Amino acid sequence: MADAVCRVLRDGALEGEHATSLTINDSVDSPFGPTVFHYVFTQLSSFISSGKSQSRGIVLVTFSRSPSITAELLKNRGIDVAGSHEWLRVLDCYTDPLGWKERLKDHGVIKTPLTEASLNVTVCKDVRKLDDLFSQILTLGKGLVGDGKNRFSVAIDSLTEMIRHTSLSSVACLLSNLRSHAQVSSIFWLLHSDLHDLKAVAAFEYMSSMVANVKPLTSENTDKFYLLEQSYKRGEFHASLKRRNGRVRVMREEFSIENSLIKFTSIAYGENAVAQSLVPKVQFNLQLSDKERSDRAKVVLPFEHQETEKSVQIYDGRKSDKHESNGASVEKSKKQEDSGRGEIIYFRDSDDEMPDSDEDPDDDLDI
Amino acid sequence: MASSKVRTSSFSRKVPAAPTSSIPGLKYGPNGTIFLSSGIPDLDKILGGGFHLGSLVMIIEDTEAPHHMLLLRTFMSQGLIHNQPVLYASPSKNPRAFLGTLPATLVSKDDKSIKSDAEQKDLRIAWQYKKYLGENKPPIEERDGKVEYCNDFDLRKPIEKHLIAGNRVECVSLLDCSSLTGIRDSCSKFLSQLPRYDGNITSAGRIAIQSFCAPQCEYYDKEWDMLSFIRSIKSMVRSSNAVAFLTFPASLLSQSVSKRWQHLADTLLSIKAIPDEDKELATLLTGYQDMLGLLSIHKVARFNTQVPVILDATTYSMKLQKRRSLVLECLNQAPVDGASGCSSSSKNTGTLDF
Amino acid sequence: MNRPASLLDNALNLESTQKGRVVLVEDCVETSGAFVLHHLIKRFLSSPNLSSSDSIVLFVAFAQPFSHYDRVLRKMGCNLAAQRETKRLLFFDMLMLECPDDGVEGGLIALYGNIQKAVEVNSSNKNITLMIDDISLLEVAANGSTKDVLNFMHYCHTLTTQFGCTIITVLHEDIYSSGDGFTFPLQMEYLADITIKTEPLITGLAADVHGQLTILNKGMIDGFGSSKGKIHNFHYKIKENNVDYFYPGSRS
Repeated sequence: MADAVCRVLRDGALEGEHATSLTINDSVDSPFGPTVFHYVFTQLSSFISSGKSQSRGIVLVTFSRSPSITAELLKNRGIDVAGSHEWLRVLDCYTDPLGWKERLKDHGVIKTPLTEASLNVTVCKDVRKLDDLFSQILTLGKGLVGDGKNRFSVAIDSLTEMIRHTSLSSVACLLSNLRSHAQVSSIFWLLHSDLHDLKAVAAFEYMSSMVANVKPLTSENTDKFYLLEQSYKRGEFHASLKRRNGRVRVMREEFSIENSLIKFTSIAYGENAVAQSLVPKVQFNLQLSDKERSDRAKVVLPFEHQETEKSVQIYDGRKSDKHESNGASVEKSKKQEDSGRGEIIYFRDSDDEMPDSDEDPDDDLDI
Repeated sequence: MASSKVRTSSFSRKVPAAPTSSIPGLKYGPNGTIFLSSGIPDLDKILGGGFHLGSLVMIIEDTEAPHHMLLLRTFMSQGLIHNQPVLYASPSKNPRAFLGTLPATLVSKDDKSIKSDAEQKDLRIAWQYKKYLGENKPPIEERDGKVEYCNDFDLRKPIEKHLIAGNRVECVSLLDCSSLTGIRDSCSKFLSQLPRYDGNITSAGRIAIQSFCAPQCEYYDKEWDMLSFIRSIKSMVRSSNAVAFLTFPASLLSQSVSKRWQHLADTLLSIKAIPDEDKELATLLTGYQDMLGLLSIHKVARFNTQVPVILDATTYSMKLQKRRSLVLECLNQAPVDGASGCSSSSKNTGTLDF
Repeated sequence: MNRPASLLDNALNLESTQKGRVVLVEDCVETSGAFVLHHLIKRFLSSPNLSSSDSIVLFVAFAQPFSHYDRVLRKMGCNLAAQRETKRLLFFDMLMLECPDDGVEGGLIALYGNIQKAVEVNSSNKNITLMIDDISLLEVAANGSTKDVLNFMHYCHTLTTQFGCTIITVLHEDIYSSGDGFTFPLQMEYLADITIKTEPLITGLAADVHGQLTILNKGMIDGFGSSKGKIHNFHYKIKENNVDYFYPGSRS
């Protein structure tokens, strides 16, 4: 179902609508945020390169990883790197985000940094100027798809770094400008959510039409090292998708890494998360399955006499045993075979008679 | 480590062309390090010989107990006895007044080895007058050609005046420094006047800073300035023949800053007050009545080695022997009273580490 | 002295083909993690497994002077002074480095420039390891500006992809554990491929067990992963010339 997320990105935005956007949240507990990001990136790349998507190109803004790693990744997925010039531009904010290298080079301390030949890379030398960054992204995108009606996608590798260099509001402003630009089809970004306060996380979720959370696997086993071991092999992928009809589609999947490929499998116990959130969360189980319900009905309760098929006459505290046969003052309990339920039919001898309070109400139980 | 603990080597003959080991108040430790005495024989023994030359020693004060002052005094007095230059900084208006409270060496009757024979025969005077003896004679240590590495101090007797007058003692008030550059400069000037290490050490210096992060100091809010000061002191001391001894009340710092300070310390000790008339502790510990407080050793300097020093015990009780000299003792659990059983044991003892 | 690979070496698995990894050592007041650095210096400079003449160590020292490391490593059978002579060890003494308030320029950028210069000179077919012995002190040198330190670390990180450098750093984790919303160790963990934590045992320090190591190896993220375990936990005892690593309870 992670594919569903990718398909929504592929389909892009309708005319006059904001671009589709996806936040991928991860935390340090599960090291697979970047992996999921790259999965989405490569999926979308293959849609774009085969012309199946609304967008005709993709601009990758990379902060936390070198473009060479992206090239490597595309190669591993069997995507033609040489042909990527047609549909991929990389804005490299990783190699020299603050212009240190540029300055050192000018002073003759270091030599020219290597440039990545295999991809079409533009190096950004001051990421603190987000206006410039915005126009650079647009220039690169238009360079791919032209000035017409064709659209392109934007991928931002870690907003976290971007916020570190600037501020939350300016990053949010940049994203909003990108989303509302007519030529942007879809955007997705990665956010290390545990590095930011809830406000920042909420702000970016507000700006996105889809939110994906990468989490460590939940497990009943409480052994610390077992949990760590597991969360370095597998994880959970939670996604919520705001649909056009106003509904929210919630998905949960488990993923694991096999042969350096990420594999998604749906979780068997996937209960409806919305339904769960409507019901108050309690420590014990309030819902019963049908089987549990029928099992419960079969339990013979203490106030039902265990010797079945006998009508039982119970001493009511006022009359001696020999008056038992007096039918008017008998309390009767009967077991109904068909429904499997216990039922007590109770006759009072007169309406104004108050029940005796000084009697032990339980002395009639046969336990 | 065991051999360096033995105190018998603390006596050494002073010969003019002697190897460095005969320099008063210094002795060789393992891994090419040199020890300098803390002024408390027991503490020297626990630390394996004393403080490393070039180390930063930090004491975490207990705001409820003044015992860090005892350590500070003995540390400074020991330096003066050995004719080592001392720099003292404190957050008081007149730090020089503190010098008057430094203790003198203990001259006990049963410890005859310290005294010269002549003194024993000819003069029998009350201890109060001993200080006058010293005024027209060279200090005791040099009189008989013997120098003790570590002295016992009599905490009730002030140090001889000539020791203060005759030595290089600099006093700095931390109140005068609006920024820390002033005190940093005096420290670096102090250290630069010490002879450099060139295979042969001739003398060592001591820097004593009391209650460094006291709130009355102007720099109290500038935690990064304080950190960077400590870091630079540490680096300066490391490359010179000195020991810096710094006490600070950790509770006045935020937890993370306090941890940073603790990381900066080469040797880290802490003081803990002992509750008065605590019946539970009294039954739990032998000698509870005599205890002044507790001294814990958190970190022992690890110079030129990667092996941590693991002590048998990390918490010691501070006591006054004969109401004069400071001794440290391991905590001993009192024998449990047979009648009452062992049920009385401790809700309080969680903090005690035997 | 060709010892079998220790548990630590196996857990780090630095021999694998993947270059350019970031190793983060997190320690605390009770258990210093410096011994991991010593171990790795020795490994890179005089391990028989790597063709050692090809490896260079750049050591940026904030915590201890050269004389200290020289003596420690000498006891482990590795002569740092000689290695420095032959330019296989480049030692940057930063004990007195100060970066004034707006002086990232003179301080951290210059330091980075020197590092990259050294890397460029040695970059031809060599394994370069960059070690920084105390990031927390780098923070003090930068006057508490965590942002500048992170920028500096980011630039160091670019060396891993550009030149295949391995980066090894030490961070005092307990400084940040007071729950005041410090994100610095987390940021460093995101940057790191391998995190090594040293902690005392819950029962405290002992003469036989000096502490425990937990190693988290993200390893495979770029797709070079091996099927080895990613999490390791074992005890250690530090000796002058060596460190013993062993699983809990496996020593009599």
